[in-house]
Amino acid sequence: MSETTRDRRPDPDALLALTAEERRGRLKVFLGAAPGVGKTYAMLQNARRLKDEGRDVVIGLVETHGRVETAALAEGLETLPRKKIDYRGRVIEEFDLDAALARKPALIVVDELAHSNPPDSRHPKRWQDVEDLLDARINVWTALNIQHLESLADVVSRVTGVTVRETVPDSVLQRAHDVVLVDITPAELIQRLHDGKVYLPETAKRATQKFFTPGNLTALREIALRRTADRVDDQMVAWLRQNAIEGPWETSEHLLVCIGDDETAENVVGAAARLATQLNAAWIAVHVEAPDGASEDPARLTRLDAALRLAERLGGETRRMIARDGVAEVLRFARRENVTQIVVGRPRTTLWRRLTGSGFVAALAAQAPDIALHVVNTPEAPRAKPSVALGSHKNIWPGFVAALAAVAVAVGLGAGLEAALDLSDVYMVFLLAVLACAASFGPSSAVIASLVSFFAYNFFFIPPLHTFTIAKPQEVLSLLVFLVVAVLTGSLAGRAREQATAAGRRAHDLAALYDFSRKLAGAARLDDVLWASATHLQKVFGAAAVLLPRDGELQLRTTWPPDRELSPGETSAAQWAFDKQEISGWRTGTLPNLPMQFRPLSSPRGAVGVCGFTPQDPDHPLAPEQERELAALLDQIALAIDRSLLIGEAVRAAALEDNDKLRSTLLSSLSHDLRTPLASITGAVTTLRQFGAQMPENDRDDLLASIEEESARLSRFVANLLDMSRIESGALKLRHDFVEPAEIVRAAAERAKKVFANFRIGASVAPDLPFIRADAQMLQQVLFNLLDNAHKYGGEAGAVLHARQEGETVVISVTDDGPGIKPADLQRIFEKFYRGGRPDGRKAGTGLGLSICKGLVDSMGGTIEAQSPAARRRGTRILLRFPAVRMKAEP
Amino acid sequence: MNKRILVVDDEAPIQRFLKPALAASGYDVLTAENGRQALHLIATGAPDLIVLDLGLPDMDGKEVLEQARQFSQAPVIVLSARDREAEKIAALDLGADDYVEKPFAIGEFMARLRAALRHAARNEKEILRFDAGGLSVDLERRLVSREGASVKLTPKEFDLLAVLVRHAGKVVTHRQILAQVWGPAHVEDTQYLRVFVGQLRAKIEPSPDAPRLIQTEAGVGYRLCGGE
Repeated sequence: MSETTRDRRPDPDALLALTAEERRGRLKVFLGAAPGVGKTYAMLQNARRLKDEGRDVVIGLVETHGRVETAALAEGLETLPRKKIDYRGRVIEEFDLDAALARKPALIVVDELAHSNPPDSRHPKRWQDVEDLLDARINVWTALNIQHLESLADVVSRVTGVTVRETVPDSVLQRAHDVVLVDITPAELIQRLHDGKVYLPETAKRATQKFFTPGNLTALREIALRRTADRVDDQMVAWLRQNAIEGPWETSEHLLVCIGDDETAENVVGAAARLATQLNAAWIAVHVEAPDGASEDPARLTRLDAALRLAERLGGETRRMIARDGVAEVLRFARRENVTQIVVGRPRTTLWRRLTGSGFVAALAAQAPDIALHVVNTPEAPRAKPSVALGSHKNIWPGFVAALAAVAVAVGLGAGLEAALDLSDVYMVFLLAVLACAASFGPSSAVIASLVSFFAYNFFFIPPLHTFTIAKPQEVLSLLVFLVVAVLTGSLAGRAREQATAAGRRAHDLAALYDFSRKLAGAARLDDVLWASATHLQKVFGAAAVLLPRDGELQLRTTWPPDRELSPGETSAAQWAFDKQEISGWRTGTLPNLPMQFRPLSSPRGAVGVCGFTPQDPDHPLAPEQERELAALLDQIALAIDRSLLIGEAVRAAALEDNDKLRSTLLSSLSHDLRTPLASITGAVTTLRQFGAQMPENDRDDLLASIEEESARLSRFVANLLDMSRIESGALKLRHDFVEPAEIVRAAAERAKKVFANFRIGASVAPDLPFIRADAQMLQQVLFNLLDNAHKYGGEAGAVLHARQEGETVVISVTDDGPGIKPADLQRIFEKFYRGGRPDGRKAGTGLGLSICKGLVDSMGGTIEAQSPAARRRGTRILLRFPAVRMKAEP
Repeated sequence: MNKRILVVDDEAPIQRFLKPALAASGYDVLTAENGRQALHLIATGAPDLIVLDLGLPDMDGKEVLEQARQFSQAPVIVLSARDREAEKIAALDLGADDYVEKPFAIGEFMARLRAALRHAARNEKEILRFDAGGLSVDLERRLVSREGASVKLTPKEFDLLAVLVRHAGKVVTHRQILAQVWGPAHVEDTQYLRVFVGQLRAKIEPSPDAPRLIQTEAGVGYRLCGGE
């Protein structure tokens, strides 16, 4: 394949972007340079035309500001009613997102893309509402003024002197399918303003008047025009890529912006984004940190995160790198990525840098003569307090006090030892004090101790004593050397201590995480996993909750504290987090006023659920290390949940398999138990028919008897089956009569004696037995089944029925003299289709008898139990227990 | 001298009607309730035919069959349940001569029993002719005719028919036919059988859609009927 043909293939990424776009609704933005240019009017005019063509057009929200022409246009178009929101006693009318999603028109018109929603709305910004609409495949038309574009906000405020608060991310405009520039000349606009055709809120009138100067308007118009032109270029390039038209569409410029963690980072990113847009260049924001220099200062990390996020919002890529030599790493990366221009912020000049010509920017310029270097201006940031060396923002007072105390002790000690020691040796005592401070309180305390020691030593030990003057010049030198040594060793030791503490803290975090993951690993059941997760999360953050999907709906599974319930808003935020796989709730783009934040839990198999937590400090975002810890925790939780779900599935599959096994046991048992009597009956009948004449009388009688017996066996079996199914389906209605146990026992014995002719059945009943509540017929059936079993398994010796009273219960027992039941089987003999003896179960009957007994006894309020051996290591005894009913028997 | 039949079944009710029925038909009856007893009686009582239930309390019926075949060539009729097809086929492959499904009418059982006894009377190799239902086969001269008219068979069709003729009246399993006609490597290729049996029926059956001569024992094999 030649180079050319390969290049002429459509770019897969471009096609992918296209399909992603087709799965969403299309966004059309009517872009204006300033309010009053007629965006709403143009939008409505177009909407009307589509409506007239028969399209499904709905007005979601349009601000006509009382302008008659505009209002007239809106008439006749379907308009969604606005949602009324009660906010601090005022009723605000707002765009009703849910109504729009429910109505699901082909096209919806939603004005003022940059609008901020009132608190407690689903999203803080209207553009987020619009994103939802697009996700629901609804086409949206909206209007936007150029000053509200995020990357331009600071330019606009610099040009016009008006601060822009409501902003829309550039990515929204970039992803818009169409951008229509609504343009009039500044002179015309000013004329319209004078004619009162431009709506301005009364309060803002004075400020805005300042805004509508020809200079401002011209500048804004230029920005808007240029932005639109850029878009046209982008679209052209995208079209060329999708259709595989050969270059020259490759943008030649590739920008890299180096950002640090200082206050100017965001400004540098903004400047780079503007430059990239003008150059129509792809750009990437890079931050390099030294391997051991991971800043512990949360403020810096937050700033860095914010800057990187801003870069992503403005359409740049971001990368964090770790390298000892930052300049070399940036250049290595830049060469690999074909970067043509590098943007850096203007570094703070220090005397040292000016003298040596060193520094990041100078090094970059020196080492990469082939790459253009932009040093962008940044507003003069308030100088960061040089407190880092002294232990950042920690409370330094304990260290300070300790330094004074240590030096005081050193003075005392020195005074005590002065007689014994050389003067120069007293230095050592002070050095000891400095090191003690360093070890216990860090470098700041050590430096303070050094300085105090310096003066104390001079004051107390160097003649002339008790003055700060020094007599001998060599003493001056040694004192200075002492100071330098003390400061250096003190700060070194202190830093070593700080690093040790930090390492200890990290080890502690790791240990906690390890502990947690071990706890999770031990929890196989889903509930255990959820419980462990919620309690651990609650320990680290505030209250916690875990939600899991069931049948497409999220359901709250665990909360800690256990009585914590989710508000409707929290529930919908959780659902949103699950559906979109994005963070929602507290301090996010979705329902930010909730006390709880929700994060999706996802495992390699996909979305698992949602985890919610309340932050311990609701007024500040999570510190970066908390963020890291949370991410690690959530990963662990998701994996553990996923694993326990998998285990659950495996268990269910095994249960199904057991079920299948049960079913096949049932089938083979049924077929055997039905077939054996049937075979006997069929055989006997056909034998009689065919050979009856030649047979002796005895044989004929025997055959007839066998037919009778086998029919009875068959009917018992069928009756058992029916009983079982009636018990299981609850169709069996039991009577709860007062029943005399003795009567039942005797009746059952009689019946069994008739059926099992050669089987000896004894019955004994204790005198004066109380009544029990039962269904007489069913109880008799139970006893008969037990005797039937005794007959089948209990050997030739016969069985004994016995009834007696034991405290408040009446006990009826059936005892046989058979080989007994193995202890392991005792528990299982009441299970359906479980049969003692051979697995083949030829002799063992239906496997239903005992389970029917248990079912009946249970529903009569009694209990059933088996004992084996019953006596002398033989036999089985089945015990039935019924509560005795205290009632005077009628005389 | 009366033929001696051994009935092996642990179900008393089955014994209870088989015994008088067999006695009334003029057979001497031996009974066994389990495999051990059965093997003992086969060795000592020299039965002429064995009726064997496959589900025995002490050992598998197939095992009894396998062991018995080492010292006895007496025909074996297996009693089995319809849902135990695999067991049935395995028994036939192990050398059982026929099977009867429970529940069964005594008439059918007796007919099978007589067929098996008659068959056993002659050596398989001696069966060289088949003449029934309008079909006559002379294995020695490789001649087949229907209602007097000569029928042309391909060599494979003839081999297939020959196997059935040698076992006329008895069920022959798919495996047995395939092994004898196509060789041991093809014992699983039952689709051959479907094709060739269909062709054979078209040539020898009076109405191939309702075959009377070659009967299908569903899932088990084929049986050539109307013989003896």
